[in-house]
Amino acid sequence: MRTAPIIGIEVAAFALILVESYAFFTYIVPVGPLPHDPLRYTADAALKVVLTFGLGLLWLVVILALTRVYVRSRLRSQTPSVSS
Amino acid sequence: MDDVHKKPPTKVPSPLGPVLFAGAVVGEVVAYLCFPSMVPVALIGVATIAFAVGMVDDFSVMGGRAKPLLLLFAGVPLVLSITLQPDLYEPHLVFPILGPSAEHFAIYTLLVVAAFPIVANAFNMMDAFNGELSWFTLLTSLALLFGVVLRAVYTPSFSVARVAATLPLVAVAAGFLVFNRHPSKAFDGNSGSLLLGALFAALAVVDGVEVAAVIALVPAILNSFYTLSSVRGFVERRKMRARPTYIGEDGLLHASVDSSSPNTLVRLILLGGPMAEKDLVNSIIVLTAAGCLLSGAISALTWVH
Repeated sequence: MRTAPIIGIEVAAFALILVESYAFFTYIVPVGPLPHDPLRYTADAALKVVLTFGLGLLWLVVILALTRVYVRSRLRSQTPSVSS
Repeated sequence: MDDVHKKPPTKVPSPLGPVLFAGAVVGEVVAYLCFPSMVPVALIGVATIAFAVGMVDDFSVMGGRAKPLLLLFAGVPLVLSITLQPDLYEPHLVFPILGPSAEHFAIYTLLVVAAFPIVANAFNMMDAFNGELSWFTLLTSLALLFGVVLRAVYTPSFSVARVAATLPLVAVAAGFLVFNRHPSKAFDGNSGSLLLGALFAALAVVDGVEVAAVIALVPAILNSFYTLSSVRGFVERRKMRARPTYIGEDGLLHASVDSSSPNTLVRLILLGGPMAEKDLVNSIIVLTAAGCLLSGAISALTWVH
């Protein structure tokens, strides 16, 4: 079934959303006010935004990497080798 | 317009968008008459703006950036309606098992407005082959309806009016499929695809099933994301330098082996070998169904307790 590898990428995208939402609630949401923050609640809010952005970026990088691996393997199987 | 994936190209009536718009409006009016609330009113506002942007694009091709910018306005009726009905949407996400996030009206509302161009364009990009968008809309709207029904059953305070407001999208998608399935008797045009995408986004927000909706849309999100990352920005598809696919002498669709071709979902499927259009659409239906099953699992994990 030729759609199986793409369904695999879909499942990876789905699993990453679940894992990242767990990471968001467990590690990012509880981040409290940072010690010695002169602006009170600003530095930790900025840190939360950066960490959440990082999770989004991680999702993109993983999905792009999986897709690149799939495209390369398919193109390699289509290109006739020099010896053939 | 020409059906360019036929050899030789055949003529197909287009756009069907005005008919889909009329169907959605009539459905929402009926939902309003049965369960009066601001939900159907806001949905009619969203549908009107997205449909208007699509009609302009159908008759005078818009630039790659103008369309997403104009689609930001599709979220305005939701934001305005919440001033009349404060519980129109809840400014938080409800995650499976973990429960709701903290409420943040400003950030949530900004994300809602930004979601309209993303989702509407994702639907627009899934509108390339006979039956592709109609099957996609029907399956994803059924996944959305499943989540809303589960929420209504397990959350006593959840209004049945929201289930009623979701039904017109399912009905419009089912009617659209009759005319759009392979071989298509009509194309929806940009007015139809943007309207369906904007309605889907609005329903996900007012029904509070955003996470399940995102999972159902994974094939379309991957498709848009691949395209945007391949061409590095918003480019009108008619202006792309390299095409992702082409029709071979055998009449089958082939993936382009040009490395500069955008990596659309269709190209990824065709990299496995050439296919007839109908088989290709069947593969896309399989991918969409897989996303919708995962979405159903998310809905069950979120609402059943």
